[in-house]
Amino acid sequence: MAALVLGLPEARRNEAAAVFRARGVPHRRIEEWKYSDLKSALGEAGVGAVVAQWLVGNLPCGVEVFDLAQNNPPAEIPDWVRENFATATHNAMSSASLALSSGGVAFRVPKGAQITDLLKVDFTGPGHVRGLLVLEDGASLTLVEGVGIADFRNVGFEIVLGEGASLDHVRISPDGGEAVLVEEAAVHVAARAIYRAHFAGFGSKLSRMELEIALEGEGAQAHLSGVSVLDGKRHSDVTTHVIHRVGNTNSTQLFKHVAGGGSRAVYQGKVTVAKGANGSDSNQSAKALLLGDGAEADLKPELEIFADDVKCAHGAAVGDLDAESLFYLRARGIPETEARGLLLHAFLEDAVAEISNIDQRELVRTELLTALRAMA
Amino acid sequence: MLEIKNLHVAVGGKEILKGLSLSIRAGEVHAIMGPNGSGKSTLSYVLAGRAGYDITQGSILYNGENLAALSPEVRAAKGVFLAMQYPVEIPGVTTMTFLKTALNSQRRARGESDIDAVGVLKLVRAKAKTLNVSEEMLKRALNVGFSGGEKKRLEILQMAIFEPKLAILDETDSGLDIDALKLVAEGVNTLRDPARAMLVITHYQRLLDYIVPDRIHVLANGRIVAEGGKELALELEAKGYEHIVKEPA
Repeated sequence: MAALVLGLPEARRNEAAAVFRARGVPHRRIEEWKYSDLKSALGEAGVGAVVAQWLVGNLPCGVEVFDLAQNNPPAEIPDWVRENFATATHNAMSSASLALSSGGVAFRVPKGAQITDLLKVDFTGPGHVRGLLVLEDGASLTLVEGVGIADFRNVGFEIVLGEGASLDHVRISPDGGEAVLVEEAAVHVAARAIYRAHFAGFGSKLSRMELEIALEGEGAQAHLSGVSVLDGKRHSDVTTHVIHRVGNTNSTQLFKHVAGGGSRAVYQGKVTVAKGANGSDSNQSAKALLLGDGAEADLKPELEIFADDVKCAHGAAVGDLDAESLFYLRARGIPETEARGLLLHAFLEDAVAEISNIDQRELVRTELLTALRAMA
Repeated sequence: MLEIKNLHVAVGGKEILKGLSLSIRAGEVHAIMGPNGSGKSTLSYVLAGRAGYDITQGSILYNGENLAALSPEVRAAKGVFLAMQYPVEIPGVTTMTFLKTALNSQRRARGESDIDAVGVLKLVRAKAKTLNVSEEMLKRALNVGFSGGEKKRLEILQMAIFEPKLAILDETDSGLDIDALKLVAEGVNTLRDPARAMLVITHYQRLLDYIVPDRIHVLANGRIVAEGGKELALELEAKGYEHIVKEPA
């Protein structure tokens, strides 16, 4: 067994190990992993027990950082880590990272701090790693998460937003080639806090971003958006579960995929409105354009409602570029390749426009253009 | 400029145009009138190069060139413009971006240099004013949320910007109230030019009160069944299509 992560009681680690042992490496016969067969993607190598790395860019003033592995000599564990790290989970891969990793990083933005500089965190190298981000009441931050390429990496991330806190989470996952990259984020959103996330993905052999978001106080909001542009044999999976635990909470999801060649785009979005969470409002939309005969999109929005007086809408659509729009642009002199590019870009644009940070939005736009051009 | 001879066009295997012939010289404005289903829109689409409209017989010469052999974008660069009956909405592309991309695509295809963003903006603004196209419209996504009148005005604005040699207006009057119709007609009239030919396709005579054509052709069952001067429109208005269609052309 690998070394202990600081602050993680032995009992908790054993519990996580037991969950992972019981569930095993997920494969396609498990419903939630139907379109992302991790077991077969990993093959004989399995999940291993290597510790993956993390890198932090310039730490914005006001953000506290704590190395979860610096336990020799033992540093004092801050209360905010002790209280928020490694909460119980039934998620197999999240349990795996808790049981198998001794590395990770934790951040804290203190009460009321409005951080304008970006917090940049990259997870790199193969293996398992943990992350924790705590925004105390009224704090705000933009987190830019980078995804390094590795044969296999599993990130377990916990995000805790205090009352009235606001987090913008931008994650750009570059074309990862043969990499197998999975991440599980568990997000707790307190009253009046807002979690915004945008995931731009260019796929790899298997790429999966799994989110479990709990809206735990009145006025809590989660706004998720994402785009993926996939070619060749790339795969990209965004799986979300938004739980409206209390009433007057709001969630939106908007995901757009362009899949060419023999690629596969997956979106599984489940929204649960708990008993008594009356007056909740949720909206889910997922769309995909298939450009290759071998391309596939699996879009699965799902609703589970146990409350009254809720507004929930969901929709999914898979199609090809609109022939009439294409003709219109060409009839105005725009060459076919360019017209197709313009329409693809336009298709993705409303999801990209959800990114609040202008620089990140432009960065995603540029990356998308490059990827679309390569496909044309 | 445009020489259509014995044109037969099939859509999805069904013959729509059945031997249409038509000739338009530079500087002329011709009108095509006809009842619903006579093949008016098919003619406009086949001239602009829409896929799925198969020429089974006959020819279309545009300035001596076989038009059918050219892609829609090449036709546009060579000066063919179709103001569409139902302009498409394209969310995610602003009207201004679209205009700039289209204008410079056409220029590039003709071997001309690009006009920079500022230059395009100046050009568009100057022409937009007379057509009552607001700055706000130009910033919005192309045709998204535009009223019927706004869409038609934007089509005519494009015509003013691209300065085509052959302009085809497909039912530009449909869905317009009288004020919008006058505005659009004025826009078209200012573009009348000795070097430009126009083909105005319409169901109703109304538009021809404002855009007075040099020649009128009546299209029925995929063929021109009657031809004449502007007075023919009045006759159609008074007696209806049936009267003319039944008589031998």
